[in-house]
Amino acid sequence: MTSVADHALELRNITMQFGGVVAVDSLSLHVNQGEIVALIGPNGAGKTTAFNCITGVYKPTNGQVYYQDQLIISSHPQGKMKALYAGQHKDAYKEVLEPTPDRITKLGLARTFQNIRLFKTQTAFENVLIATHLHRTSNLLTATLRLNYAEEKRMRQHALDMLEVVGLADLKDELATSLPYGMQRQLEIARALATKPRLLLLDEPAAGMNPQETDDLGRFIVDIKQRFDLTVFLIEHHMDLVMDISDRIYVIDFGRLIATGSPDEVQDNPDVIAAYLGVDEE
Amino acid sequence: MKTAKIVLSLLLIIIAIALVGYTLSSQGDLRDMVMRLDPQNLASADSRMLKARDRVLDGLAEGDRVRDLRNLDRYLQDYGPQLALDGENGLELFVYRNGPSLLAAGIALAVIGAALLVSQLDKLAKLRKPAIYLALAAVLYAGVYIVENIAGSSSMLMTVLKKGAIYALIAVSMNLLNGFTGLFSLGQAGFMLVGAYTYAIFTIATDSRAQVYQYYDGGLVQFALPTLVAIVLAGLVAAFFAFLIGLPVLRLKSDYLAIATLGFAEIIRAIFQYDGLGPITNGSNLLRKFTTFDTVLFPFAVAGVCIALIVMLIHSTYGRSFKAIRDDEVAAEAMGINLFRHKQMSFVISSFFAGVGGALLAMYQTTVQASAFKASMTYEILLIVVIGGMGSITGSVLASFLFVASSEWWLRFLDNELVIGGVQVPLLRSGFRMVVFSVVIMLMVLFYRRGIMGDKEFNLKSFLQPRVRKGGDVRG
Repeated sequence: MTSVADHALELRNITMQFGGVVAVDSLSLHVNQGEIVALIGPNGAGKTTAFNCITGVYKPTNGQVYYQDQLIISSHPQGKMKALYAGQHKDAYKEVLEPTPDRITKLGLARTFQNIRLFKTQTAFENVLIATHLHRTSNLLTATLRLNYAEEKRMRQHALDMLEVVGLADLKDELATSLPYGMQRQLEIARALATKPRLLLLDEPAAGMNPQETDDLGRFIVDIKQRFDLTVFLIEHHMDLVMDISDRIYVIDFGRLIATGSPDEVQDNPDVIAAYLGVDEE
Repeated sequence: MKTAKIVLSLLLIIIAIALVGYTLSSQGDLRDMVMRLDPQNLASADSRMLKARDRVLDGLAEGDRVRDLRNLDRYLQDYGPQLALDGENGLELFVYRNGPSLLAAGIALAVIGAALLVSQLDKLAKLRKPAIYLALAAVLYAGVYIVENIAGSSSMLMTVLKKGAIYALIAVSMNLLNGFTGLFSLGQAGFMLVGAYTYAIFTIATDSRAQVYQYYDGGLVQFALPTLVAIVLAGLVAAFFAFLIGLPVLRLKSDYLAIATLGFAEIIRAIFQYDGLGPITNGSNLLRKFTTFDTVLFPFAVAGVCIALIVMLIHSTYGRSFKAIRDDEVAAEAMGINLFRHKQMSFVISSFFAGVGGALLAMYQTTVQASAFKASMTYEILLIVVIGGMGSITGSVLASFLFVASSEWWLRFLDNELVIGGVQVPLLRSGFRMVVFSVVIMLMVLFYRRGIMGDKEFNLKSFLQPRVRKGGDVRG
């Protein structure tokens, strides 16, 4: 890389509207190079929707996403949405750039899923191996005729290394879905790492984990961040974990950004407390 | 243990060489042997016997093996009791008659020996697996060849083997799409039709064209391609159709895709019967007089190579992505797999092999008519795939042979009225076979939902040394 971009990821007024419901409303945020940034908020605040907009699963209704200071996603209200649109910055963006998720992953953004999405009929090893497919140089013919055996060997070694990183190398031949819940989450991280990302998006990596496991996970995230020179952007409900490892935190509620800052600042923010605990109505 | 195995493999090779050598040498000196069969030269006294013997010798001189064997049979049948047929002469006669079979057995034995040798040498450890598969293939093909020589190439068993091999290829091609990529497509009969027609159109002998295309002035195409080129072309044309149809259709999901592909198959059948295309497709008339095969080895060889290619594809990085798409499209896409491209690949490849299968089917039937490629043909193939197990190649292959054998052979008796001791057995009449067949299939689907093999493959290692099952139960 010749020049280091300031922002690994930047969202500009991302709005996602489903019919009349605005799930994410003009969300602007940025993640600096090498940071661990958390996106938190009460249930249904639009966190996963925001993730899906970044990774191309949803095409945002309006707004732009930059990755390494390069525009990767851009949209504005079109068709029926022109009349329906209830968000802001309606005419701010002219370009339309809506890549499919695989293109986003090829750029170097990898993600995990809130509701685990492993390949059910495959072993742990095969799950990770599939993620090495995007860096192939072989074509259909050379791969079928095994003319790519050197590459195949590299793929297998890389997949094995990633399993080693999450400590599942011994269980590589187990069916992915037969692993305990916590390990399935780790396997998802291994699979995401196998795509050789520079930005890792984790959607509730600690969901369903006990405090001990959550602690381990926190250390693990910091560890892989340093080891693979990653930037991490995560959604999480476990406040202990978020406060522990995050450099900065964004808080959203009803799709709208309500607070941002260091863990300490966010913790004391009255808006955040209100969003989480509710306000007394007198 | 190891030395013993090496010695054994060397021994096998030596036996094989001896067998091949002896068989080859005995093919040469039949003339002497025929004379030796008649030590007292009785023939010189019996003019008819002399004539029969001379016919054998003449046939031998001409080198026409089939005729020669026939003459030899007649000679032995008529004058057998007077000839010295036991001992060495008998053996030599046996070797002569079964020469090709023995040669095949010898070669298979040699391959087994070589494979065993390779698998024991550490330096060649890399070749171990291919060697074992090669040995298995040699045994299979030699076995089929020998059975064909014994049973005769037009026997029921051979018919089943021929059609079974062709259906196996088509079923595997459908399994690639439905079982491995998770695309529920019902267009197989359409692609088979395209393949069958392409093959037939380009291999009809030039001088028979006027006769075949009698209503269309001898047709447009006025040349014939070599068989193998035409088969590959059949696949390519089917693949091209798949590419075009895939562009809009592959964006659909599950049931919609099935409906769209089924519609395509019906439309293509109508188009090929369209009178305006008569100079090419012969309208709704039969296509015939194209090159066919007479040995079962041909469909076995073509289907074998194609299935091997599909298996290798499935085990490659592309095959793994197909399975990923089947398991979870969203996750596959998030892992950088371009859904449309990979679905298209799978669809086009599947159709290519369906086209090749269609060409083989045309050769097997010796005539082609579009009206035969109905949706029911797709359902037959789908049935084979389901019975064999979605996502199991060996299952599909096994099920094809079972399906063809039972529908063409084993259940045939149900169609014939049968009278035992003056009482007519009830229900047995024309058409009852299909009733029983349907019931068997219903029972199968009800009680054996995942098919014969589930999504597992026949595995040589686990077959030879059964091991304790590891991991979770897949049949959740």
